[in-house]
Amino acid sequence: MIEGIGLRKYIAGRLVGLFFVLLGVTFFTFFMMQFAADDAVDKMYDDRGAVSEELKAERRHELGLDRPFFVQYGTWLMGLASGDMGKSFISGKDVFETFIEKLPQTIWLMAVSILMTLTVSLPLGIISAVKRDESIDYIIRFFSFIGNSLPNFFTALLLIYFLALKMNLLPIMGNSENMRSVILPALTLAIAMGAKYTRQMRTAILEEMNKPYVAGARSRGVAESTILFKSVLRSSLVPLITLLALSIGSLLGGTAIVETIFMWDGVGKMAVDAIIMRDYPIIQAYVVWMSIIYVVVNLIADIMCDYFDPRAEIYNGGGSAP
Amino acid sequence: MRKYHALIPFVILASLLLVVALFAPAIAPLDPYAQDLSVALLPPDDTYLLGTDRYGRDVLSRVIVGSRTTLGASLALLIVISVGGTLIGAVAGYRGGKIDTALMRLSDVALAFPAMVFAIAVAGVLGGGLVSAAVAIALISWPKYARLARGLVLQMRSMPYLAAARFAGRSETEILIYHVMPNIAAPIIVTATAHLGTLIMEMAGLSFLGLGAMPPTAEWGAMMNNGRSLLQTSPWVILSPGIAIFIAVSIFNMLGDKLRDVFDTHLNE
Amino acid sequence: MRSKKFFSGFMSRKSKLIAALALSGCILISGCGGGGEKKTDAGKAGEKTFVYGTMAYGVAMENVGTDPHDTYVGWSTLRYGIGETLFRFTESMELEPWLAKNFERIDENTVKINLKEKIKFSNGKKVTGKAVKACLERLLKMNDRAPKDLKIAAIDADETSVTIKTTEPSPSLINYLSDPYGCIIDTEADVKDKIVVGTGPYKAVKVTDTQIDLVKNENYWGDVKPKMDKITIRSITDGDTLTMAMQNGELDAVQGLPYASLELFGDTGKYKISQADTSRIYQIAFNYKTPELQDIKVRQAISSALDKENFTKVLLHGQGTPAVGPFPAAMTFGDKAVSAMKFDKDRAKSLLQEAGYADTDNDGYVDKDGKNLELRYLTYTSRQELPLLAEAMQASLKEIGIKLNVNATDNYKAVLKTGDYDMYAKAFVAAPTGDPEYYFTTHVLDSSAYNNGFYHSDAIEALGRELHNEFNPAERSNLAIKMEQQLLDDCALIYASHLRMSFVMRKNIEGFVAHPSDYYEISPALDKKI
Repeated sequence: MIEGIGLRKYIAGRLVGLFFVLLGVTFFTFFMMQFAADDAVDKMYDDRGAVSEELKAERRHELGLDRPFFVQYGTWLMGLASGDMGKSFISGKDVFETFIEKLPQTIWLMAVSILMTLTVSLPLGIISAVKRDESIDYIIRFFSFIGNSLPNFFTALLLIYFLALKMNLLPIMGNSENMRSVILPALTLAIAMGAKYTRQMRTAILEEMNKPYVAGARSRGVAESTILFKSVLRSSLVPLITLLALSIGSLLGGTAIVETIFMWDGVGKMAVDAIIMRDYPIIQAYVVWMSIIYVVVNLIADIMCDYFDPRAEIYNGGGSAP
Repeated sequence: MRKYHALIPFVILASLLLVVALFAPAIAPLDPYAQDLSVALLPPDDTYLLGTDRYGRDVLSRVIVGSRTTLGASLALLIVISVGGTLIGAVAGYRGGKIDTALMRLSDVALAFPAMVFAIAVAGVLGGGLVSAAVAIALISWPKYARLARGLVLQMRSMPYLAAARFAGRSETEILIYHVMPNIAAPIIVTATAHLGTLIMEMAGLSFLGLGAMPPTAEWGAMMNNGRSLLQTSPWVILSPGIAIFIAVSIFNMLGDKLRDVFDTHLNE
Repeated sequence: MRSKKFFSGFMSRKSKLIAALALSGCILISGCGGGGEKKTDAGKAGEKTFVYGTMAYGVAMENVGTDPHDTYVGWSTLRYGIGETLFRFTESMELEPWLAKNFERIDENTVKINLKEKIKFSNGKKVTGKAVKACLERLLKMNDRAPKDLKIAAIDADETSVTIKTTEPSPSLINYLSDPYGCIIDTEADVKDKIVVGTGPYKAVKVTDTQIDLVKNENYWGDVKPKMDKITIRSITDGDTLTMAMQNGELDAVQGLPYASLELFGDTGKYKISQADTSRIYQIAFNYKTPELQDIKVRQAISSALDKENFTKVLLHGQGTPAVGPFPAAMTFGDKAVSAMKFDKDRAKSLLQEAGYADTDNDGYVDKDGKNLELRYLTYTSRQELPLLAEAMQASLKEIGIKLNVNATDNYKAVLKTGDYDMYAKAFVAAPTGDPEYYFTTHVLDSSAYNNGFYHSDAIEALGRELHNEFNPAERSNLAIKMEQQLLDDCALIYASHLRMSFVMRKNIEGFVAHPSDYYEISPALDKKI
């Protein structure tokens, strides 16, 4: 286990890593946007009727788009250091504010879909492992397999078709006033995740059950249920936590397809719209957000995994544990 | 040897898919690109086994020819990223030091991008199309292999036979190619096989968003996108490619699972 | 023994776990619950509410907000009944007074506009000439298109009128004042949270990127009073979500459905559809720099190869009208007044033959001097009709032996710059202000920004100058017809179809009517029968 000063040093090291990731990611984004075929101003006047090139040049100057690449990037970095992410090219609104406005919706969708996923996949994974090669195991594996092989846009369409249109049970559109509107998008996400988690859980438990310390515990007469709940499950949580961290990380970035299909007003849809509109300040803010999440989530996952290190407690005195 | 028997049915199914993809134009019963508006949106019948789309094209023929686009693109992409990623990871792990740090930082940067959004950005820059979709996925998928390869190489670095090879006067490059690579190939191949299903879904997903294959190219994701608004009126247009994706992904997932089952025990020993 | 112990222990744990999880699941679903029935009736009992899903509102459209002077936001101000303009367009796109009573042309550069007496802002203040002056001045200061369109030199005002002097003769001043940016708002009221004070039947109470909430304007000046208590405008940018949310009863009316979805609303017991032909034209320009296309016979052959009837009927599901020229038939200078090449495959083939093309190597494509006739077709995908048109064109030309390589890309601007295309298809609103001049100045003159085919005609240049200086509407219309016919005789462009706009609504919705201008959606006539 990493503890005390070691832990602090470790975290500091990872945060230095975050700095490099941020620098790399934002630089790359800036670089890419620079070479986009049409810029924000072209997009702005797209399909709007004739606009002279002079007017466009004026706009570009106003937005600072006519300055050299490194000047633009430098200015942006300086702004970021002082907590200013600039204003959206399109809406003129403060980027940070726009972002904060969309975040609760994304967090809400994430929380519900993770809850649904765990609610279903933990028990199913356990049952499937415990009753290995019995019919219930085959049924669970069959369904988790299907869930794993369906693209989420296909799942979304099927869910909408059956649950909303045919049975008229649930609303389709995201709506902050109607709590039920979260169910369909969350379910879409939960089906693929749940399938993955169930399989992961099953594999992890089976692997753990094959370890010598389990046999050791059995030989000492420890109850199977104690073995399962006190140690096997606990160690099986390690891969699950890593998976969970990855899921939360990507869900916090919003899910472009699902948010678009369900008109869910979160950060994923915001990012896609911004990319389509070449709204650089928003895209940059989003990229910063994603890299922070990525680093922080991974850090937390690593610390948690360390904490849940298998064979930590009750078997240490047993002698037969590896 | 018996454990390999479990692999056989899945290897056959996967090969079958690849054979269909390879000989698609010969297998397709009708011209997948011939438009005839007078037979648009016909339900499945004797001539058009899976019906026709809104241009009057045969859906079955398009699904068959589409297998070539979708599977071919995914497979090519898989080979590029698994070989490229493995090389990067092996070099990083074997050389260590600054090169290692630099390459791993680079992979951190790549991993920090959310796949779909990044792909949309790349498509925006490169102007869409199957190639730019593949480039986007490649740019953020290689670290998966780099990290795996690096981990394996680190485990091996201290193995006595590498020292022996060094004594025998082999150059570092030779050691990397003749001793390191063959030993890490198995887990990489297992990972890659299991990854193919995901790649197929990602490529189809991009085409579904209109960022992958361009019309009139027959591609499963693009076909689903074109058929989206027809889900209720002419469901065969969207269900056929949807089920095709599902079947292909299932087969490669199963193959990946079985491969892992067979090789994993071997790896653990 | 062991296994028995195992399972008894396991089962009790498991059942507890499952019970807890099932409970939380139930809470989750029921907690979010409520009946499945009254989905759109978000308001209190007895309140009339209207929920409208539209593809046309959103950040990407640059019309988020209600301040008409800001970029293209005026479209939202006008469409959703928050603001009104001095004049408006009739169904045939002619002008009629709205907030104004009438106008007088004092000389070539001066127009006096008299206001109706009883007009009030939604805050109860009277709309005076001075208020209109202040509003127009704010418009000129804030909007980057308005000064160039309106060319205003000075504005004078008194209680009941404004007098506008322009810097040069401006025949279409009144048309431009009827652009959505011309909505009259109270400049003395603060614009807070994107909410302005207008004169329309409804006023905004909450405005976000994806939604506008409206309530009834109790001070509405018109004789027809607004009837809905609350209106919600929802931005829905995905056509299929829009379709299914409408079917699922979450919306009262929708705009912008994918064509294929419209037939789902054919049940007249449940739904109503209101349609209008707009002036949005889908056109294909020939690139005059391409040597093969400099031969008019080749252009004629291509023009007569496209079956516009079938294209609109099958591919657009009847949601468009075959076009002749750039303007829809409802306009005086529209399709009824001009004629173009008819669809005729055999004629197309013989035209190619006359131009010296024949399939000498039997590869299915005609050739001349050993070279196949092969053309590059550029278009983009953000309008759902354009890829359909591209594929239809490709198939049609294949039948007469021309190979068409379609490049449908959202990167098309780069290609336009390099000039690597032989035909370019696009969508464009040809007469946003009901006046024909705009289309010609933007598309077919030497000075046009969008003359992507590099077309030049001395006759068109001369007619264009004449049109620019003509004040008489009837004469302007005649000149426009002459120019259109010249373009069609030259076969400079193919006009494929006009967009038909459709509103789908529930059976009990009344007074919600599609208008050819695309400007007017929510009016005081809107009602919901219960």
